[in-house]
This record gives sequence, C-alpha cells and structure tokens, in this order.
Amino acid sequence: MKKIKRRTFLRGSAALGALAFGTTAPYYFQRNIAKAQESDTIKIGILHSLSGTIAIIETSLHNAELLAIEEINAKGGVLGKKLVPVVEDPQSLVQVFAEKSKKLLLEDKVAAVLGCYTSASRQSVLPVFEEYNGLLLYPTLYEAQECSKNCFYTGAVPNQQLDDFVPWIIKNLGRKKFYMLGSNYIYPKETNREVKALLEKHGGENVGEEYAPLGHTEFATIINNIAGSGAEIVFSDLVGDSIVAFYKQFKQFGLTPDDLPICTPITTEQETAAMGPENAAGHYTSFNYFQTVDTPENKSFVERYKAKYGANQVTNAVMEAAYFQTYLLAQAIEKVKSTDTDALIYEGLPGQEFKAPQGPVKIDEKNHHTWLWARIGKARDDGQFDIVWTSQDRIRPDPWVDYLYPNKDCDFTNSKVMDRLKSPWSSERNRSGTMDL
Amino acid sequence: MSQALISQVLIGVSVAAILAIAAIGLAVIFGVAGVINMAHGQFIMVGAYTAAVVGQLGGNTFIAIPVAFIVVAAVGLVVERGVIQFLYERPLETLLATWGVGIILEVVMKAIFGPELYYVGAPRVLDGGIRIIGRLPYPYYRLFLIGCAIAMIAATFWLIYRTNFGLKVRAVRRNRAMSGCLGIDTARIDMLIFMYGSGLAGIAGAILAPIKSVSTTMGFTYAVGSYMVLVLGGVGNLLGVPTGAFLIGQGETLIAYKYNAVIGELLVFIAIVIAIRIFPRGIFGYYERR
Repeated sequence: MKKIKRRTFLRGSAALGALAFGTTAPYYFQRNIAKAQESDTIKIGILHSLSGTIAIIETSLHNAELLAIEEINAKGGVLGKKLVPVVEDPQSLVQVFAEKSKKLLLEDKVAAVLGCYTSASRQSVLPVFEEYNGLLLYPTLYEAQECSKNCFYTGAVPNQQLDDFVPWIIKNLGRKKFYMLGSNYIYPKETNREVKALLEKHGGENVGEEYAPLGHTEFATIINNIAGSGAEIVFSDLVGDSIVAFYKQFKQFGLTPDDLPICTPITTEQETAAMGPENAAGHYTSFNYFQTVDTPENKSFVERYKAKYGANQVTNAVMEAAYFQTYLLAQAIEKVKSTDTDALIYEGLPGQEFKAPQGPVKIDEKNHHTWLWARIGKARDDGQFDIVWTSQDRIRPDPWVDYLYPNKDCDFTNSKVMDRLKSPWSSERNRSGTMDL
Repeated sequence: MSQALISQVLIGVSVAAILAIAAIGLAVIFGVAGVINMAHGQFIMVGAYTAAVVGQLGGNTFIAIPVAFIVVAAVGLVVERGVIQFLYERPLETLLATWGVGIILEVVMKAIFGPELYYVGAPRVLDGGIRIIGRLPYPYYRLFLIGCAIAMIAATFWLIYRTNFGLKVRAVRRNRAMSGCLGIDTARIDMLIFMYGSGLAGIAGAILAPIKSVSTTMGFTYAVGSYMVLVLGGVGNLLGVPTGAFLIGQGETLIAYKYNAVIGELLVFIAIVIAIRIFPRGIFGYYERR
C-alpha cells in the first residue's frame, strides 16, 4: 500500500481549499449584493415580447403592467419599498421565453414574473419556473386544463366565457343551429369541445365545424360552406390576422348580423379597429372586460392608460388582466410581508381580492385561477362594444369543467386531487405546440 | 352539378385571381430578369401600407393603385441599383441578398408604422354584390379582383410581346452578352423590368389590402403562394401565371369545400410536388435553345 506523503497531502488540501473558496465566494458576494438591493426595492420581472410577430398584443400587456407598477410606487410602494420592473424582451420566440425566465429567476432574483401571452410560450417557461421554484402570473385567456404550483392564471378559462354565452345565444337570440369555425390549433378545438357539450345540454345543434390553418386569410369557401349549412349562428374561435380577413369577407358576401351573427370569445376592441368597425358592428363577443365597462375603476384605468400611452389607444380584456394581476401580486407581498415564493404561492395569492376595472376579482383559494365577471358585448359602429348582458356575480374558474371531465380537478389544498392530476397533463399538454394565444 | 358546387367554382376563380395578382410581379422579375426575388412578399406589404396611407388621407383603392405602383417601383429602383445590379447571373447571391432586403423592409415598416394591424377599406362603389347562383351574392370586389388579374396579365403580355421595349427585354433574357454587343443597354433594361415587376407587387398589395389584413408580417404568405404558382405554371411564358394560379386556386378551394382548408392546403402541396416530377420547369417552362 502506498503511503501518503506529507507534502502531497498539504498540496492536496491547499488545492481543495482554493477550489472551495473559488466556487463559494462569488455566490457569497452575489448574495450579499442581492440582499443589499433587496432592502429598499422589490424586483418584478416583466416578460412580454416587444419585437416579433406577437409584439402587437404583448407590448400592450407590458404597458399595462408598467402602468400598474408606477401607480403602486406612487402610493408608497409595497412594504415601504419601491417595485422595480426588470424588463426582458423574448422576441416572440418560444425558446427565448425559457432562457429569459431563467435569467430573471437566477440572475435578477425577481420576486415574481408577470409574463407570456401565448400558450406555447407559457408551456415553454413553466418547466423553468417549476425547476427553480419561481412565480409566474399569466394574464391571457386560455384553453385551461392546466395546473402548476408555480403559476397563477388571471385570464379567463373557457367556462367563464362560454357557460353563460351559449345558453344566452339560444335563449335571447332564439338561434339554435351553430356553425363552429376556428384556427387550427389547441385553443379553438378545446373551446369548441366545450361549446358542443353546452349545445347538447341547452338544446342547440351543431351543423358544421371547420378549422382554418393559422394565418389563413382566404375565407370565401368557408363562407360558402357556412351559407349552405343552414347555420343560424357562426361561433368563431379564429385568431390573429384571420379574424380581420374573415369579418371583412363575411360582410362582402352580403351576410349581415341580422341574418347570421358571429359570436366569439376572442375578438376584442383591437381587432374591430383593425378590420374597420363597420365590418364588426352587430356581432357579439363574450369577455370579462370591455373598454366600455361602467365602473369608476375602469373609467380611471382607461383615462390613465390613454394619458400615459396616447389618446388613440384602446384597452382590452387581456391588458386589464395584466393590469390587475400586478396589483394582486403587490397585495400578496404586503400580506405575507415577504417575497418568499412559497409564502406567496400558499398564503399570499390564494383568496387575494382586488377591485379591478371589470369589477372585484378574486384568486381562487384552490386552483390558482381567477374569479372573473362574464359579459356579452355587441360591437358598435365606432369599434367599441355595447354591453348587453353582465353576470350577477363573479364566475368561478373551472379548469376542468364537470360536464366534460367529471373526475379531474385542480386543488392545491388537497394533495389527493393533485396526485390524480399529475401524470396525464404534464406530458400530454407539453406536446401540443401552439402558435397563437 | 349542384348550384352550390357551381358557386364554389366561381369562388375558386376569384381565389385564382388573387394568387395571379400576387404572382405576376414575381413572374416578371423571375422569368424576365432572371432574379429570384425573396423580398417579393415584402414588396406586396409595402404596397398594402401605401394603400393604408392613401386611405387615411381620404383616397380609395382606385387612387391607391397608381400610387402603390409608383412607390413600390421606386423601392424596386433603389433595391436594383443598390444591390441586385451587382449580382446578375449569380442566383444564389441574389437569393440571399433579396432575403436580407425583405427583412430590412419589414423592420423599417415596423419602425415607421408600429406593430399593430392597419385598416384598409374597400371603395364604396364596390360594396355589395350581384346574385349569380347559389345562396350568396357574388361580391363586386371579387369581380373587381378578377378584372384586375386579367388587366395586369394583359398589360404585361402587351409590354413584353407587343412593344419595342419588350423585344429588347426578351433579347436580353435570351442572350445578355449578344444583346449588349448589338447596342442594347442591358443594365437599363434590367433596371426598368425590375421596377415594373416591383410596381406590380405594389398594385397587388393595394388591391388585396381591403379583403385581407395589413401587417408588417403579411408578406410571407403571399410570397409562398406566388412561388407555388410559378413553380407549377412555369415562367417561360406568361400563360404560366394564370394556369398555375387557376389550378392551385380551384384545387385548394374545391378540396376545402369538400373536406376542409387544412387538407386543401396539404393536398395542393403534394400535387405540386408530383407536378414538378412531371414538368420540372413548370407547365410553361422556359427551355434554353441549344
């Protein structure tokens, strides 16, 4: 057996010591720096594309969040500290979303991230947030059936936009025959599944279903099909450029909202402006929020948004969610008196309420989604919506509606429910890449 | 044939017209000047934005057409003098250079107009439609598009085959060196034909804007459609454009009518791949004389 010499031993331990110092020292210093900054400010990550194909909508979300942060700071900040936005631009590229969120969590050590718009971008960042235990607040309406410990969803899920909309159409417009039209990806397909179930429940009829490729702008054939189907209602889940082209061509083929109204959970004030209000007038949209909502909170929100970003700006539902989720986060930090992720996730955010422009909203105690109001708007000649129906109360978010998924639910206060949930969604959901919304 | 099917074929004609309108400018530049212009879609986009600006100033599509022709021809002039004149007879380099030009145009337009969608309306005279057959009236605007497609192809045909200028263009296309020896200013011919092709792309943007959406990223889909038309139809003869457009337009809409739009797009792509096996240079291919 070889004897360890004294000199070798000394050399070895010196090297080990240097190695240990080398690896821990930067971490130690970094922590101190972070702590020093922590003492007087709270960093909030803002992760919305300011360039690339979806910059159109995401810039407005970014603007709404910055407006809210500015207002919170003007009122004295949170826990006596100023909120500091750390802005990153993921350039509409799914993989950049993941890289930037890693940077926000590990380098900037932000308390939470407000961000993402499309389902694809959210699904690409969720593994990052789960791995490093970060906190994401996500403002977009989306197809639901998702539950992540590290994400709070402040946009609508289908049940909040559809459960009242479909029976309202059947009862108040007196029309039963639905033609379903959507862009060819997951959100419209999931939404239409739910619409079909609701039609069955309320005595409606599905007379046709059609999906156009994303970005499709030639709708003459589809319009001809709709006309031949005997439909009384067009239920549209088209997104992006397709919306504008479809409404324009629909009118050119002589179809009016009196003959055949288009009903949709997607078309907002932004699209009605882009297509020309005369093409949208008379058609219906179901949303939690419209710019015309008559609450004092909304009047001042619209006023302040226009003052900051220009008088010709319009506000819409996703922006409103981006705005109020910033306040919900601030209140949650105030409540737990800390920016600790687990404290915010388990105590700060669940049950948190805020008087949003759409009315008082509340984060559900169990499923990380948000109680929102339901409204139906009829588009006017000026691109705004007349609100023709408002729900009596806030609607409970249900990521897995009972009439389609009786055995699935999301409940972070009940580990048994969560175990049953685990296996199917994580693999299945991440495979379905989407481009929009 | 049922009434619905006949009305569907008529719709297919308008879709073919849209494809032809988008492709004709590319066919001129590719077929006559021999340049693969990857910025074609962005030229259409600039034309559409020109129409949007004309609209905001109170003009309509009829005014936007000549304005877009001039504006985009001017863009074409700058691109030809600045980049392409150094790259004739070097297809790979022109391909990369025009790809870059396309990206630059998109970024510049976004910087000027912002990222939001722009609104362009149709002229009031063309509102409404005429009842031909089936349940729906046929929109006047689509009839106007069909007319535009015919007019653009006819004008180009006249220019290339019936004028002195066109004769020189064809001579340069056949044999650049020999044309130069015979006293034709080949550089000037190249420049003018590139401008003309660009101007046609501008017109396409201006007349398609009222039925489509206008954004800085809109060019790509038109470029893809135009290339499919050229690949199928061929560029040896101007008849290639209407032939390719008609086959693709009818094929896509009829399949979309019978099945759905996604399958329509897919089957048409497959059909084109098969067609290229049979006609490697397109149906009206250009074959060198040897």
